[in-house]
Amino acid sequence: MTVSSAPPIPRNAAYQQLVAQRNAFTITMTVTFLVLYFLLPVLAGYNKPLMAQKVLGNVTFGYILAFLEFVMGWVMAYLYIVKARTFDRLAAEARA
Amino acid sequence: MTFLLAAIIVAITLGVTFWASKRNTSAGDFYVAGGRISATQNGIAIAGDYMSAASFLGITGLIALNGYDGFMYSVGWFIAYLTVLFIVAEPLRNLGKYTLADMLVYRLKDPRVRTYAALSTIVISTFYMIAQVVGAGSLISLLSGGAIRADLAIPLVGVLMIIYVVVGGMLATTWVQIIKALLLMFATIVMTLLILSRFGWSFSNLLGQAEAKNGAEFLGAGLKYKNPVDLISLCLALVLGTAGLPHILVRFFTVPTAQDARKSVVWAMVLIGAFYVMTAFMGNAANVLLGKDAIEAANKAGNMAAPLLAQALFGGAGTVGGEFGLAFVTAVAFATILAVVAGLTISASTSFTHDIYNGVLKGGQASEKDQFRVARMATVAVGIVAILLGLAAKTQNVAFLVALAFAIAASANLPVILFTLFWRRFNATGAIWGIVGGILFTLLLIALSPNIMKIDPADLTTGRHLIQANPIFPFENPGLFSIPAGFLFAYLGTMLGARRRDAAEDARHFEDMQFRAYTGAGAEGTVAAHD
Repeated sequence: MTVSSAPPIPRNAAYQQLVAQRNAFTITMTVTFLVLYFLLPVLAGYNKPLMAQKVLGNVTFGYILAFLEFVMGWVMAYLYIVKARTFDRLAAEARA
Repeated sequence: MTFLLAAIIVAITLGVTFWASKRNTSAGDFYVAGGRISATQNGIAIAGDYMSAASFLGITGLIALNGYDGFMYSVGWFIAYLTVLFIVAEPLRNLGKYTLADMLVYRLKDPRVRTYAALSTIVISTFYMIAQVVGAGSLISLLSGGAIRADLAIPLVGVLMIIYVVVGGMLATTWVQIIKALLLMFATIVMTLLILSRFGWSFSNLLGQAEAKNGAEFLGAGLKYKNPVDLISLCLALVLGTAGLPHILVRFFTVPTAQDARKSVVWAMVLIGAFYVMTAFMGNAANVLLGKDAIEAANKAGNMAAPLLAQALFGGAGTVGGEFGLAFVTAVAFATILAVVAGLTISASTSFTHDIYNGVLKGGQASEKDQFRVARMATVAVGIVAILLGLAAKTQNVAFLVALAFAIAASANLPVILFTLFWRRFNATGAIWGIVGGILFTLLLIALSPNIMKIDPADLTTGRHLIQANPIFPFENPGLFSIPAGFLFAYLGTMLGARRRDAAEDARHFEDMQFRAYTGAGAEGTVAAHD
C-alpha cells in the first residue's frame, strides 16, 4: 500500500493559516489546562495545610480549587467553541 | 418496589431495542448507527457511556468515607474531556469510519497497524468489562438485599447486554445510554436539591456538619491517598486515558461530521461536569445523614452510600417515600451498569469484526451482509466471555481494573494517536512498538504492584489478591511511569523502522492526513448513506 490515489493537495493561504492557528491554540490550551489541573494533586500531595485552609465559611481552599477546575473546564470548552468558528471558516476556504 | 422499577427500565430499554432493530440492518448501522446520531443525542450518550456505577455509587461512597480525597477523582474524570475535545474528537471523526484503527491505518498506510490497534481495543475493553461485570454481580446482589446472588446477576446482565447489542446494534446502545444518562441526572439533581434544602442552601453549612462529625481532616486532602506520587500517577492516567478509551472513541463515529463530534464533547462536558460537582454534595451529605459506620456496615467500599442517602432524603427507612427513593436510585444504578456494559460490548465486537475479521482476515473484501452476521456472532461471543470471566473473577479484587484500563489507554493508545496526528516522521513500526510496548509495560508494572501482589489475611474471602507476596513495584497506579514509556517505545520503533526510501512517502502520507484531519475534505463520504 504505497500508492496513494489522492491528487496532489492544493495548499492555499487559508490552509496554512488554519494549521498554524489550530496548532498554536491546541498547544496553548492543552499546556494551560494540564498545568492548572495538576496544581490540584500536587498541592493535595505536598501542601496539605493549604488545601485544608478555610476560605469561605467552612469551604476549604481544596474544595474551592476543585470547583474552579470545573469552571476552568467549561470556560475552556466555551473558548474553543468560539475559536472553532474561525477554524471552520478557514477549513471551508481551504477545501475550496 | 426496586424490582418493579428495574423491570420497568428493562422493559423500556428492550422496547427501544426492538424499535431500533428495524433500523439495524447493515454493518454500518450495527457499528455506528449509520452515523446518523445528532450531536446532542451523542453528547448525552457519551455521558451515559462514561458515568459507570463506579462513578455514581463508587465516588459518592469514596467521598462519604474519605472526604475530600474522593472528590479529586471527580475532577480528573471531568477534566479528561478537555484532552478529548482539543486533540482527539475531530481528527478521529475526519480520518476514521468505525474504529480507532481506521485513523491509524489512514495515516500510516500499513495493514499491520490495524491488527495491533484492534488488539489494544480488545485488551482495554476486556479489562474494563471484567471490572464492570464483577462489579455488577456484587452491586446487584447488594442492591437486591442478597435476593439475586452474584452468580445469577452476572449472567443476567450479560444476557441483557447481548440482546441490546445483537438486536439493536449501536442505535439501541446509544438510546440505552441516553435513557440512563437522563435518569442518572434526574436522580442526582433531585437528591442535590433535597440535600441543599436540608442544609440551608449552604455548602459551607454541610461541610461544617461533616467536620463536626469526622474531625477537620475530613475536609482536607490525605485521608485516602497517603502517597503523593501515586496520586499524581492516577491523575495522569485519568486525564490522558479517556482520550484513548475505545468505547468512548467509537461514539465519535456515530455523528455525521467533525463539528458534530465537537458539539458532542461539549454537551457531554455539561452533563458530566454537573454530575461530578454534585458528587461533592451527595458524598458529604451521605456522611452527615447516615454516618460512616452505617455506610460501612452496608458495604465496606461505600457502594451503598448513594441508595441509602436517597432513602434518608425521601423520608427515611420504612416510609413510603424513603423506600421509593431507595428503589429509584437502585434501579438507576442497575440501568447504569447495563448502559456501560452494552457500550463496551459493541466497541469490542465492532473492533473484532471491522478490524480483525474484515480488515485482516478478509482483506477488506467482506460483504456488508457477511460483516453484519459476524458482528452479531462476535457480540454473543464477547458477551459469553464476559460472563465467564466475571464469574471466574467474582471473588477477586477487581476494582483496580478500571484504573488499569485507563493506564493502558493512556500508555498504549494516546502516544500513538498523538504521533499519528502531529509527528511527520512517525511510521508503522513506531505505532506497533508503541501499542505493544505500552500494553506490556503497563501490565508488567500492574502485575508487580500492590494491586496484584499483596498478602491478605487468611480469612479474607472476597477481594483477594492474585499473588500472595510483597509488591515489587510500590505504586498502585503505573501511569507516571508507563505513559512516558509508551511515548519512548513509539519513538524508538519509529527511529529503528525508518528507511530512507520511505521517508518521503511517510511525509506525503502525513500531509495527506493533516489536510483531511484539519479540513474534513473527503471525510463527509466516510459513512455510507443508508436509504
